[in-house]
Amino acid sequence: MDVFDLIVTGFAGALQPFNFMVLVIGLLVGVIAGALPGISFVNAMAMALPFTYLMQPISAMAFLGGIYAGGVFGGSISSILINIPGTPASLPSCWDGYPLTRKGQSRRALQIAIVASATGGLFSALLLTFAAPPFARFALRFDQPEFFAATVLGLLSVIAIAKDAPVISMLSLFIGMLIGTIGVDPMYGMPRFTFGTDAMQSGINFTVVMIGLFAIGEVVDLIVVKPDLSVRKGPGGQSLSGRDVWAIKGSIARGTGIGSMIGMIPGAGATVGAVIAYGVEKQASGRGREFGTGVPQGLAAPESAKNATTGAALIPLLTLGIPGSAATAIMLAAMMLHGVSPGPLLFTTDVTTVYTIFAAMILANLLMIVAAVFVARGFSTLMRTPPAILGAFIIVLSVVGAFGVRNNFFDVWVCLAFGVLGYVMKRTGFPSAPMVLGVILGPLAERYFLTSLATYENNYLIFFQRPISATILGLAGLFILWSLWPLIQPLLNGLQRKSRKGFP
Amino acid sequence: MHNPLRLVAVGLSLAALVGPAVAQEKFPSRPVEVIVTFGPGGGADLMGRQVSRLAEPILGVAMPVTNISGASGNAGLTRLLTSPPDGHTVATLIALSVSSWAAGLGSAKPDDFQVVAMMQNSPSMLFVNKNSPFKTAQEFLDAAKQNPGKLRVATSGLGTQDDITVRYLASQGFPTKNVPFAKPAERYASTVGGHTDALYEEPGDVAQFIKSGDLRPLLVFNDERHESFPDVMASKELDLAIGDLPNFRTIAVPANTPDEIVQTLADAMNQVLDKPEWKEFCAATYTCTETMSPEQAQKVVVDFHNTVKGYLERFGQEQAAK
Repeated sequence: MDVFDLIVTGFAGALQPFNFMVLVIGLLVGVIAGALPGISFVNAMAMALPFTYLMQPISAMAFLGGIYAGGVFGGSISSILINIPGTPASLPSCWDGYPLTRKGQSRRALQIAIVASATGGLFSALLLTFAAPPFARFALRFDQPEFFAATVLGLLSVIAIAKDAPVISMLSLFIGMLIGTIGVDPMYGMPRFTFGTDAMQSGINFTVVMIGLFAIGEVVDLIVVKPDLSVRKGPGGQSLSGRDVWAIKGSIARGTGIGSMIGMIPGAGATVGAVIAYGVEKQASGRGREFGTGVPQGLAAPESAKNATTGAALIPLLTLGIPGSAATAIMLAAMMLHGVSPGPLLFTTDVTTVYTIFAAMILANLLMIVAAVFVARGFSTLMRTPPAILGAFIIVLSVVGAFGVRNNFFDVWVCLAFGVLGYVMKRTGFPSAPMVLGVILGPLAERYFLTSLATYENNYLIFFQRPISATILGLAGLFILWSLWPLIQPLLNGLQRKSRKGFP
Repeated sequence: MHNPLRLVAVGLSLAALVGPAVAQEKFPSRPVEVIVTFGPGGGADLMGRQVSRLAEPILGVAMPVTNISGASGNAGLTRLLTSPPDGHTVATLIALSVSSWAAGLGSAKPDDFQVVAMMQNSPSMLFVNKNSPFKTAQEFLDAAKQNPGKLRVATSGLGTQDDITVRYLASQGFPTKNVPFAKPAERYASTVGGHTDALYEEPGDVAQFIKSGDLRPLLVFNDERHESFPDVMASKELDLAIGDLPNFRTIAVPANTPDEIVQTLADAMNQVLDKPEWKEFCAATYTCTETMSPEQAQKVVVDFHNTVKGYLERFGQEQAAK
């Protein structure tokens, strides 16, 4: 069978009434779970896993794929409407999405997010369909130094995108990286900063930190400060016009490209993709100085990037049997429980299953537009609830969500502690986003760095000797110079002036 | 005259007396929670979910799976130990967690647990990339001897049975470089992608790469050959005495659980082991094991703990001597 026959067979499978139904249910579950602050779509996928026991493998994958695609988008609904990211990957969507809401343009912001996410997701689903095997072989050429270089690019993006002074953001990032070292270290099995307690050995989970800093911190602030929320209750501003979409086409394209590349790297995932896309967009869009005030480009780029990681992340999963994230690991579990092992052989033994999954991912991203519109409308209604009630609701969800990440009660205390910290940081203007990203990226960078050294005879130059990692690091270097140029330029000018004075 | 309040009080105190007694009489009287001590998608998770799926009809109650990952499985085990020892909470207890105690992680010890059943067991093997120049275990070991510390073996970390095996090989004159990977997926990708020279792993976790030919097995760390890989040499044939570090997966409860409950659970688990669905699952993952009584399974865990401790003490002293 050639590719197009297979695709037709795949769509025929995905459009079977039952498969289609579970796909739609999955999408709705995903968008809602993603949008609820505290509850992540990964929780929803883990909870959905037992339901797949009785399904055919294809239905199980359609169901989980729907939750995955919907959930990665859903997190942005709460980012945009209440400045609380529903999932870590939606963190960058707060930066320009919420300011749009503050301007009374929440409807437009949501529409930008839906269009960008669906485009990114659809492109990566097509990439998965037509290019999975060669891309998987390409991804295998990436080794630890390349992963490290990509993580460094992510870390530098955090500094580049900072709205606040770079030094303060860097400090926040470093504190986050320090928090990330808590627990049993992944290489040597030594407990670090655990103060002799068993509870601390499991480390501090980044989702719990995020829920604390953002959801709880934001709600406490909401209740204490009682800001003017009247703008949220408005009609939501104008709808998105065709011209608006045309204006953000470049941002969507860049975001999609970055997301698709990052998505293929195991371990990095949607959050890293969204952060890098925001950073690149800030430089590339030409409106960098306005970023953070509600620029459509600043919302479209991370939105398209994070959904572009969904299809791309399935490439290593299906072709190599390597899950790159918690979400794809759950999909792996679902397949293995049905006796389907993803990997190179899947494409020869179960090729119709593979193409049905591809078709389901394409459909999921198309249908996402419909599902997203429905759910977003529901959530807009939620915005009219009085802050005190909304706040109580979010705190309950946050506590449940913090517990649900690892079913660990200690995480609830961690979450509450970070909630207090989040409020203090918000009041004092200390940026909290770099801290969360530090908790996510710090341990990744450490692991990749140490494993690189172990693999290449403790050669510290290896990162510059391997072409791909050297290229990424070079780009990272250029990137940081480019983004900090406004700061460096006056210094250089100052030096020139001084030297002119010195040598008249 | 009847005082209604008094009646209620008497009723309540009776209920309080009878309640626990009833709970002890019949097991299971409510859902049995299966704590999987690792995240979704791994070997322990698959085992826990298969157990839950297949044992539900036998025990007649729901068996929801809860993943509690962290600290080499010790986070979930801590949860098990703080749950009531009434059999309504069970957990996966696997070799990796037991070796982590021997390496000084956590405060648990084998005596804290009562193993209910041995579910899966498999020796570890050494794999190479399909394009590797090494065709036999002997060629690999010769190369290790000639280029001390040059060959890179991808393992799950330091202080694990992987690490012990690498150190053991070094002590026998075959020094290689241990490259620890925290994430199994990255570990496999590293050898499949040709970035490391060999992979230490149990065959079930890399079954898809073995079947596709991306990974080639060179050596089984066991006293005898693996029946699924009759052409692959066992370590004993090369005079390597490192066949005592099996990768087992068990179901365990807290040590002070009443014997009848342990027996009920053990019977259910052994029925699971006999089911055709389980046989198919364990064959696909190369982990089929003989049925054991709780005492026999417990002994495997205790012996393994002592073995790992012994190795670590030995290598620790050797290192101190250097």
